Amino acid sequence: MTDYAAKDVPMTAQARVKTTRNYATDLAARGEPMVFAMGGSLAIGLLMIIGILGLIAWFGFTTFWPQHIVQVTSKDGKVIAGEVFRSESFKPADAQLAAVPAESRAKIEEDLGYAERTLYRVGNYDLYGEDFQWRNEYDVAATEMPADMTFIERQEWGPFVGRITALSLNGVVTQNPTLDAVNAAVSEGQARREAILDLKTDEIGRISTEMEELRLEVKSAALDYGATDQRTLDKTAEVAEKTKALEAQFAEKTTTLQSLQAEDAKYTMTLADIGGQTKEQELSSIVRLYQPNQMSLFEKLGIYFGRWGEFIFSEPREANTEGGVWPAIVGTLAMTVLLSLLVAPFGVMTALYLREYAKQGRLVSFVRICVNNLAGVPSIVYGVFGLGFFCYVLGGTIDQLFFPEKLPSPTFGTGGVLWAALTLALLTVPVVIVATEEALASVPRSMREGSLACGASKWQTIRWIVLPRALPGIMTGLILAMARGAGEVAPLMLVGVVKLAPELPLDLSWPFIHLDRSFMHLGFHIYDVGFQSRNAEAGRPMVFVTTLLLIAIILAMNATAISVRSRLKRRFAGSQF
Amino acid sequence: MSAAASSPAETPAARQVDEYGYEPTFYHVKEGEKGPNLTIEDFSLWYGQSRALWNINLGAQKGMVTSLIGPSGCGKSTLLRSLNRMNDLVDGVKTSGQVALDGMPIFGPAVDVIALRKRMGMVFQKPNPFPMSIAENVTYPLKVDGVTDKTMLAEAVENGLKGAALWDEVKDRLKDSALGLSGGQQQRLCIARAIAGNPEVLLMDEPCSALDPIATMKIEDLIDELKGTYTILIVTHNMQQAARCSDNTAFMYLGRLIEYGETDTIFTNPKLKRTEDYVTGRFG
Ligand SMILES: Nc1ncnc2c1ncn2[C@@H]1O[C@H](COP(=O)(O)OP(=O)(O)OP(=O)(O)O)[C@@H](O)[C@H]1O
Ligand SMILES: [Mg+2]
Repeated sequence: MTDYAAKDVPMTAQARVKTTRNYATDLAARGEPMVFAMGGSLAIGLLMIIGILGLIAWFGFTTFWPQHIVQVTSKDGKVIAGEVFRSESFKPADAQLAAVPAESRAKIEEDLGYAERTLYRVGNYDLYGEDFQWRNEYDVAATEMPADMTFIERQEWGPFVGRITALSLNGVVTQNPTLDAVNAAVSEGQARREAILDLKTDEIGRISTEMEELRLEVKSAALDYGATDQRTLDKTAEVAEKTKALEAQFAEKTTTLQSLQAEDAKYTMTLADIGGQTKEQELSSIVRLYQPNQMSLFEKLGIYFGRWGEFIFSEPREANTEGGVWPAIVGTLAMTVLLSLLVAPFGVMTALYLREYAKQGRLVSFVRICVNNLAGVPSIVYGVFGLGFFCYVLGGTIDQLFFPEKLPSPTFGTGGVLWAALTLALLTVPVVIVATEEALASVPRSMREGSLACGASKWQTIRWIVLPRALPGIMTGLILAMARGAGEVAPLMLVGVVKLAPELPLDLSWPFIHLDRSFMHLGFHIYDVGFQSRNAEAGRPMVFVTTLLLIAIILAMNATAISVRSRLKRRFAGSQF
Repeated sequence: MSAAASSPAETPAARQVDEYGYEPTFYHVKEGEKGPNLTIEDFSLWYGQSRALWNINLGAQKGMVTSLIGPSGCGKSTLLRSLNRMNDLVDGVKTSGQVALDGMPIFGPAVDVIALRKRMGMVFQKPNPFPMSIAENVTYPLKVDGVTDKTMLAEAVENGLKGAALWDEVKDRLKDSALGLSGGQQQRLCIARAIAGNPEVLLMDEPCSALDPIATMKIEDLIDELKGTYTILIVTHNMQQAARCSDNTAFMYLGRLIEYGETDTIFTNPKLKRTEDYVTGRFG
């Protein structure tokens, strides 16, 4: 053995004997002591998720199912009819109890003073001034389900529960019409309603838009040339002429509209509630009607899916508590897509600089900490910032530069889908930066070295080797950002979400996506329907349905992104041996 | 210019040892007709505080194969990676001394590192194929140069893969991901990539450590074929391989160049005791 290996002194036998160990198994090393706690935490987490999803799915999926109409006769002779909405136990006050007949009171006392009561959705808001009525169980004399009770959904005033006693078609009155005859008349009425709406929004709306544009032309000419310039005066004259023509058209259309409406008013039916009160209802204002107590399962399914279709594809009515959420779906999707388009390049480029170009040191660490902390700032703070900076400063400047003729009414200087997307991009960019940085860091050094050794520049290496390899990780960040962005509501209320948007941010008129428009959002819709509407009780089922839809949309978007990511990942999977 | 390239064969007479107990490098280099291509002059390297290379003087002869041998951790990879300035990427690396390629210094602020790397192909110790198709891997150096001509690319793929003895195995799956290849295939792919760039110098860091004997033989054949046109530096732990395919062998130990000279002499009649101990397998 040569000298340079002599440092390795062999272990002596004695040294080996001295290190005796206790060979008995320690109690803590037997089995897996902590696995109980870990499994337990997982189980609790799963339970919570399943609980939330289960609750939402149950309420969401059952809301649109056509319920039976129950006719309840109280002991004092009052009769109501309606859907069973919910039941609960309650403790009647002593004074109330005193009025209860003896045998019922005995039963209540047996149940420790609790009695049952049921909330019925009686509808007929225009007649009763309320949609719901409670009935205590001990007050009820009889319940039955008459076959001819009809549930009538209307454009206004909520549903009507009762019977159709007469149909009046342009003066021709039929007493006790058949359901088929009513349905036929109703679909005709709906066609009339469509025609009136088309005339109102498309034609008359177009004329007003054109007149507004003309007015703006004059204003912008005045801004460009000065109010007394000849060109402005010419323009004014020209516009006045055109406006006159338009006004004539407008008057003509308005007359047509009025005659259509007058015609429409001649087609009505007479409804009678359970107590005999009658109501004359225009046929065009009926959404759908059915007699749930004598419907087959198949017919009920038809109503069920018809309601889902209406919910998804139509506009809201009745202060959002009825009708559909199509504008909110479009708004949510448009905002989320825009958000992703904004946040992806911004976040990825920032992370590239931080990880690949910046000199790693104290300053970069500090920046990184700041970025991480940004993710923890309450989202409403971003909303305030978005309103103050994007809407007022940026938007105000844009308005002054490009849309001066519309001032003082703002174009970009108020909430809009672009500002909302930018605000949320700012809110979610830390997520993308952190995920991208991690993805970049996980690209093996050997790959970069291989590329550089081939004579590639740093940017070529990043472009062709690092970024493709990091793409799945970047996608993960984007998915998280998108999910967070789509579910955020608080900041949106400040920067562009409205209760009811007149126009969609996406439509068929140039330039198809209207970045300046305010929009509706499912998250805000939930809040609005649940807590801001005339009748919280009536809005509650819609809260669950809308929540279900929001979850489904976010899930669908995530699933798409995840499938793209896994396809990317598969490209990079391979043997290492 | 130090003794590195031009010193004639010495005899191991009474030699001065330095403060750490190391004699100066013993040279008996077999010189090529064209002289040294890559000259390393008094080169030292530090990883932060710890010194990995000590005053290396070595001239790789043009068109000849130089093998680097030595026990694990002696600095072979470090030396090789210094030649195409791969160590620039490691934080805290400091160097002193100089390396010259065809008389042109490679360390210095005015050096175009990218141009330098294009003149030197490198095969790494661990295979590092890129996450793209087999063909794209081979043509990567051409892509870097902006070559888009289809026939040129196809030719480069075929030549590279044939050169690396991989063509027959992958010719039907050139569009498949390179990451689906076995480790040995991946290494040959990296060799194909290195020669596809048509470099002057080929730096190979244990190119055969993951290969079976047949593939190893093919690589050695390839080295035989390439020598003459390319200057090749190859790190290997396989003495037979060094003996078979190199003209000169450098023996390194703990960051020092101990003996550098004709391969036959190193393996049959080493001049220094340390070299003899290593090549006869008495330690290492
Ligand atoms: N990035 C690094 N940072 C710090 N020290 C390093 C680094 N890379 C290598 N070293 C050290 O430099 C010395 C030489 O390492 P090198 O990788 O050159 O050895 P080698 O001769 O190639 O060994 P092997 O035959 O095992 O590949 C070793 O002591 C090693 O620990
Ligand atoms: Mg090595």
